Amino acid sequence: MEQLFANLAIGFGVALSLQNLFYCFIGVMLGTLIGVLPGIGPVATIAMLLPVTFTLSPISALIMLAGIYYGAQYGGSTTAILVNIPGESSSVVTCLDGYQMARQGRAGPALGMSAIGSFIAGTFSTAVIALFAPPLAEVALKFGPAEYTSLMVLGLIAATVLAHGSLVKAIAMVILGLLLGLVGTDVNSGVARFNFGISELSDGIGFVSVAMGVFGFAEIISNLEESGKAGEREIFVKKVSNLLPSLQDFKDCTGAIIRGTLLGSALGILPGGGALLASFAAYTLEKKVSWNKANFGKGAIQGVAAPESANNAGAQTSFIPLLTLGIPSNPVMALMIGAMMIQGIAPGPQVMTERPQLFWGMIASMWVGNLMLVILNLPLIGMWIKLLTVPYRILYPAILLFCCVGVYSISNSPFDVMQTALFGIVGYVFVRLECEPAPLILGFILGPLMEENLRRAMLLSRGSPMTFIERPISAVMLAIAVFLLLITVAPAVRKTREVAFVEE
Amino acid sequence: MKIKNGKDFWAGLMFLGFGIGFMIASRQYPMGTAVRMGPSYFPTVLGGLLTVLGAVVFFRAFVSKVHHSIEVFPFRWTLLVAGGILAAIMYASAGWWAGLGMGRTSILLQYGLNALAIFVIMAAFGPRPLVVIMISVVLFGYLLKPFGLVIATGVLIIVSAWGGHEFKLREVLIMFVVLAAFSVATFIYGLALPINIWPDLG
Repeated sequence: MEQLFANLAIGFGVALSLQNLFYCFIGVMLGTLIGVLPGIGPVATIAMLLPVTFTLSPISALIMLAGIYYGAQYGGSTTAILVNIPGESSSVVTCLDGYQMARQGRAGPALGMSAIGSFIAGTFSTAVIALFAPPLAEVALKFGPAEYTSLMVLGLIAATVLAHGSLVKAIAMVILGLLLGLVGTDVNSGVARFNFGISELSDGIGFVSVAMGVFGFAEIISNLEESGKAGEREIFVKKVSNLLPSLQDFKDCTGAIIRGTLLGSALGILPGGGALLASFAAYTLEKKVSWNKANFGKGAIQGVAAPESANNAGAQTSFIPLLTLGIPSNPVMALMIGAMMIQGIAPGPQVMTERPQLFWGMIASMWVGNLMLVILNLPLIGMWIKLLTVPYRILYPAILLFCCVGVYSISNSPFDVMQTALFGIVGYVFVRLECEPAPLILGFILGPLMEENLRRAMLLSRGSPMTFIERPISAVMLAIAVFLLLITVAPAVRKTREVAFVEE
Repeated sequence: MKIKNGKDFWAGLMFLGFGIGFMIASRQYPMGTAVRMGPSYFPTVLGGLLTVLGAVVFFRAFVSKVHHSIEVFPFRWTLLVAGGILAAIMYASAGWWAGLGMGRTSILLQYGLNALAIFVIMAAFGPRPLVVIMISVVLFGYLLKPFGLVIATGVLIIVSAWGGHEFKLREVLIMFVVLAAFSVATFIYGLALPINIWPDLG
């Protein structure tokens, strides 16, 4: 316990330095901004900002990028409540009751309660990370290559099970991602693989290019195609007054916030989990157990508080597998790994012991960031509403410009821009063919890691693949992966899975 | 046999293509053994898996309960033929350009026409926003060094705005001025990126 406080003291020392406070602020503001704006999410934004982080210190870079992710969870609810459009995919369920509350003139309490719920969840999940990450990292330090390989298999399988749409396609996307990750020089033999004689490809396909192309550009193109069909979005801008919920509201929401926080924290840790899954699950749970279930969908404040608490909790606890195991659980975490590697930090359990400043500083910054969000956001809601009236035709050229300058600056050559454009096209094809890009990016980041660990494991076992089953931890992880696959293809689960994701 | 799910049909073909492609490309590297895996071992295994999964998706397209038209992407004959002809001309004349005696200009012209051929072919299959936006991005990438940030920004903004559904010249021009000023201030003065503001005449 004493150790914990000492560590947290180091963390707050780092997080409260003037420079890091500044980047934390930039991160949460940007996060809120893109959370408010529909059609641009944290994945695309972090991808865009990766090149900028070259110039920052590792800790400042990670603090800023983390701020974008949980900041977006705050911003997303504003749009959901006022416009009935999810600003962020994890706010989809917030629309259901939040917008109804706004129509009844209770937009203020809905916004206030979602911010308060998010803050409570943020505080709790920060504590969860501080408590659970160190022991988990201890365990992970004992992992050998066989365990790591199995862990990656489990992580990737879990990500495909939780992806919406066809399971076969999701697994195919993971494998395609792994293969694309292998392009470039093979560490063991020094052979430049699949570079087709292009020298720029010897270092591998640029991670920023893939992420920005598949998530950023493809998103813009799909949005432009959509906006041609649908009319201008209608904005529910009434004067939002009285943000503070009443005492009765607080009483009504206590249970919902606690349940949302706990469920969100638990689901965030799972591979493939994160904000999106957490908010869906919390809404479903709340609808089942709440005394107010008759009112759900008609403006029940619990239907706002629970998912908003859960998505924030989930967003933060999904950092646990990243910080302790070096395994990303969702695309945002894959980008965080990318950012760490750009900074020359090998992600994994050793980060905690070798760079305690970075590890604890990031955790402390999450709580600081949450505090900033609550203090800043509520008074600024008027400004965010104004932003929503900016039409997309003005936004997207600006977004494109930042993307292009960012990609160009990676190596000051048009090659990266070209490569990103190419992945933009590929990403658009994925969207049209209903192939989820999230598993692809996870595979892409894990490809080289997995190959290396597989090679080492096989070398240690003298070529016997039985090593993955003979080693108990590895066997358990593989068993869980198989179990996950089996229950997904089982007809009963398949049905509910289809229902659960149909709302998107 | 009738194709019921066009999206699965194309997705299956795509995965099959990648799977088989990676397996073939891996053959030029040493395979190694299970104990000491060569550079080709893991990609070959993955390529094989992807091929199998691609085949599953492909055949599912014929029995799927979900119905999607086979025409997932638009298709324009005229552009495909035009792009094909241009590409053929450029391929045949590949050696001729350098001998034109115009130095760098002729090579740039050759590159430009090559790119045009690729884009025209692409435009045959892609929707308008995709083609226009990707052209604007690539133009930006190639114009940035020789022409500087301001002009490259202008081209990116104007071309990409033209890819949307509404194009208001006044609005686009205002956007250009604001964004050019902003990007010069942030990227060149703020982040000190090594980019020219104006064309490099030296």
